[in-house]
Amino acid sequence: MFKFTTLALSVATMAAVPALAGNALVSPGAHKGIAKSSLSATPDGEWNRLGRRDGKFVELWTKDGDSLNKVTFFGGVPAGEPLFREADKKNRPLPKVSGTMLMTDIPTLLESSYRIQFNVNRISIDDQEPATLGGHPGLKFRYTFVSADDEVERKGEAIGAIVKDRVFLVSYEAPAIYFFEKDLPAFHQLAATLKM
Amino acid sequence: MRNRVIGAVGVVLAACVLVSAPAAAQEKTGAKTGFMLKPGAARIVLMRPTIRVASQSTGGMSEPNADWTAQAVENIDKALRDAQAQLGNDVVSYDEGVSGEGALTAQYGNLFSAVADSVITYQFFAGNRLPTKKRSKEFEWSVGPGLSGLHSLDGADYALFINTRDDYGSTGRKVLQLFAALGGVGITSGVHIGYAGLVDLKTGELVWLNADRQMGGDVRTAEGAVKRVAQLLEGFPGKPGEPLAAGAK
Repeated sequence: MFKFTTLALSVATMAAVPALAGNALVSPGAHKGIAKSSLSATPDGEWNRLGRRDGKFVELWTKDGDSLNKVTFFGGVPAGEPLFREADKKNRPLPKVSGTMLMTDIPTLLESSYRIQFNVNRISIDDQEPATLGGHPGLKFRYTFVSADDEVERKGEAIGAIVKDRVFLVSYEAPAIYFFEKDLPAFHQLAATLKM
Repeated sequence: MRNRVIGAVGVVLAACVLVSAPAAAQEKTGAKTGFMLKPGAARIVLMRPTIRVASQSTGGMSEPNADWTAQAVENIDKALRDAQAQLGNDVVSYDEGVSGEGALTAQYGNLFSAVADSVITYQFFAGNRLPTKKRSKEFEWSVGPGLSGLHSLDGADYALFINTRDDYGSTGRKVLQLFAALGGVGITSGVHIGYAGLVDLKTGELVWLNADRQMGGDVRTAEGAVKRVAQLLEGFPGKPGEPLAAGAK
């Protein structure tokens, strides 16, 4: 049976969810202050920035909607903070960024966060290699995952780095059928222009 | 007496929630510009419906219910069999045969749902449209051209995808809804989503979609499933009595 306190907390949590802001056009050209951070990028095509924010340090771009193609910018998540706003902090807390984290720990952080936040029941890190993010040493990794919410198999590619104890991460995800390959070149172009 | 008072308060609060909810004008049907389907002109494969039924916990978590899902599969299958002869074209049920493509077509079914979800979120909700899609009033959505390469769909012109998802609110969820109303927060109890979409097998384009996140009909019962299927196929292009060219409603 449910308890009154559970109800009160649930209501309070729902009341605290911010209202939806409008989506904005990301036109070709330079864009600074992405995810309220030092991240900047210069896409050569159009994207949409979602009004929805999944966390204090998160910004979302898409072409056809976030379930079909999504670029997530994590703009410097500090130690002690999770990647995303926690949907159920008490019962399903997210892992937090640690001050002792190495960049090779980033894929595991993403994986464990996805299992909780997005109800992901299958996820595998397929490969990883050294890369640079905005001129800083980083890690590029590719992954595949399925959320129990819609059972769509999605592929992802991400570049992460730890700069001044903060996690910077930019990921691209889309359904494995059709969409991932369709917009991968646009993501690669975008990723190649990332600066900090 | 006490129960009556609680019940009355509940009704009033529920009414308040309904009244205070924004009256968002939302389209439910879309079609590719110029798409037209004459009766008797096409062979349509009815893909295996994706049907999920769950209970919704107090906190809103979806908890799959295998028994309800099995009932819904049986009921919707029967309702679809009865309805497919009335669609005005040669509609046949998907048969994997010896192609070994069952798992892949199931993935296409899931992908169709993701596309339909995006259409609802970013096209049908006018206030939430993506700026790049806003300028063009066209209905341009696709599951990609790969579907046309499936041998199990050889000889067909279109694939008809059906997806339903129902979460039935638990008692706790319903009570939470009332408490939330007291706090001035409008929350829903239950999820009843249904998508029906026609995909052109030459291009992979979604040429017609009927999608609603507030579907009627309790799919756990035979009568409810008939109502749900009728709602899903409302406005189906080429169906006798429906316009040949389906447009946004």
